[in-house]
Amino acid sequence: MTGASDVVWRGIGTLFVVFLLSPLALVVLFAFTSRPQSAFPIEALSLRWWDAMLANPNFAPAFWNSLIISGTVGIVSAIVGTMAALGLARLDPRRARLAAALLCLPLMLPPLVLGVALLSFYSRARVPMGPQTVIMSHLLFALPFVVLVVYARLRNFDFRVVESARDLGASPLRAFFTVTLPIIRPTVVGAALIAMALSLDDFVITFFTIGKGMTLPTFVFSMIRTALTPAANAVGTLILVMTIGTTLVALWLTRYRG
Amino acid sequence: MRDRGATYLLLAPAGVIFGTLFVLPLTYFLVISFWRVVLFRLKPDFTFANYLQVFDLHLSTLVFTLGLASLVAVLTTVLGFIYAYLIRFKAGLWGPTLLFVALITLFGGYLMKIYSWMTILGITGVLNTALRALGIIDEPLPWLFYNVGAVVVTLVNFLLPLAILPIYASMRGITDIELEAARDLGAGGWRRFSDIVVPRSQTGIIGGFALCFLLAAGDYLTPQLVGGKVNMIGVQIAPQFGGLGNWPMGAAMSFVTLGSSLGVILLSIFLLAQWRPR
Repeated sequence: MTGASDVVWRGIGTLFVVFLLSPLALVVLFAFTSRPQSAFPIEALSLRWWDAMLANPNFAPAFWNSLIISGTVGIVSAIVGTMAALGLARLDPRRARLAAALLCLPLMLPPLVLGVALLSFYSRARVPMGPQTVIMSHLLFALPFVVLVVYARLRNFDFRVVESARDLGASPLRAFFTVTLPIIRPTVVGAALIAMALSLDDFVITFFTIGKGMTLPTFVFSMIRTALTPAANAVGTLILVMTIGTTLVALWLTRYRG
Repeated sequence: MRDRGATYLLLAPAGVIFGTLFVLPLTYFLVISFWRVVLFRLKPDFTFANYLQVFDLHLSTLVFTLGLASLVAVLTTVLGFIYAYLIRFKAGLWGPTLLFVALITLFGGYLMKIYSWMTILGITGVLNTALRALGIIDEPLPWLFYNVGAVVVTLVNFLLPLAILPIYASMRGITDIELEAARDLGAGGWRRFSDIVVPRSQTGIIGGFALCFLLAAGDYLTPQLVGGKVNMIGVQIAPQFGGLGNWPMGAAMSFVTLGSSLGVILLSIFLLAQWRPR
């Protein structure tokens, strides 16, 4: 490679990284500045928007709703998704790929269409809307991620160790809890964290299926719809820290490398 | 020793969730798209009136949406391809860092990115105030915000990771050995690129393009929050489930959008399939 093209590629890479990261970096930056607009020049650093966020009566319920919803989605999708991945690993690879592709269909629908379809369905089936309907809806797009990640791990899993345990008299359940699970646990936990991050981050489907309550993203929406207050930056930073934090731990646990 | 019963038992919970929360709601949604609303209540029927009305009232919005989504999907796919190419072939030790940036921005907040672009592009926003503080402009530039350009930039920004990751995943399968073999057999840089790199990345390109197209065509917040008067089909669908309360109409609009999007995607897969090694 010549030196000139090296410099060009480095420049392109830098531009991409700036384009991808700057919106998020600015949200974090303006969560800590003092002026009442997100604008330059920055006069002073301040925590006033964090005070404003905590003082807002809608903040605490939204925060707890977000924790409960994403926690439940993480746990349920980890259990159901791991079961499904174990089931897929017992099918022949072609049928397993087909089943996995089917399960991923909800990810291809625009969230708006999924949200309004679920809204009309819940209301027809007279399911009262609230955190419970949001949890059910989030399972739909969180589950495929868990299944895919855990199934990928099981593809290069040595099932002979499970068979040894079975030959030595362990029941299928006991073999799973004493042999399989300890080996795949980091992957399962990582997949559950990805599911939590996706749930925590979702706005559109939550907006249509939560009824009256709020989560952190719908709380941000209620703040930015009326007026641009930098307090929204504080909530946004909180969401970013939570989603990116769980994602980082998840990537580390699953050793995902693209 | 692999008994079938246990296999199906393991798959059952996921199947139940998929069936009751995806197949059933979408089927119901398709059914009500043929119903009517009489005195604010759903009335079972079998009429194509909603679909005809979609074409009557919203044809220009639909065409505009498909055009805009095509532009956004082409941009994200091309940029995503360049970025993936950079990670795989040019970045060397920086590759993992670039991949990492794509991964964390994938999870870093749909709503927060739109909100951030509102604060970047607005009249009293980051870009205008920064340029003024630097003395480059005297008056804020009004054309940064509330137009199609702002919508395109915002959509490309949050869809880009969704194009990068599948394209990179298929590029990773290209080995250095086959590229070196091609070079030893006399293939030049462009030949190696067009006969090996592009065809081998096709699955990722198609996946990334389809995903970005569908998500752009179905978006309703970006045009509302950064587009001002920019009218996309999603902006018309959402109120059918709020104030307007015409679910059959909203359902018909959703299916027309999905169907026509599928048409555009199939057409682009056909066009891409024309790119074959000589």
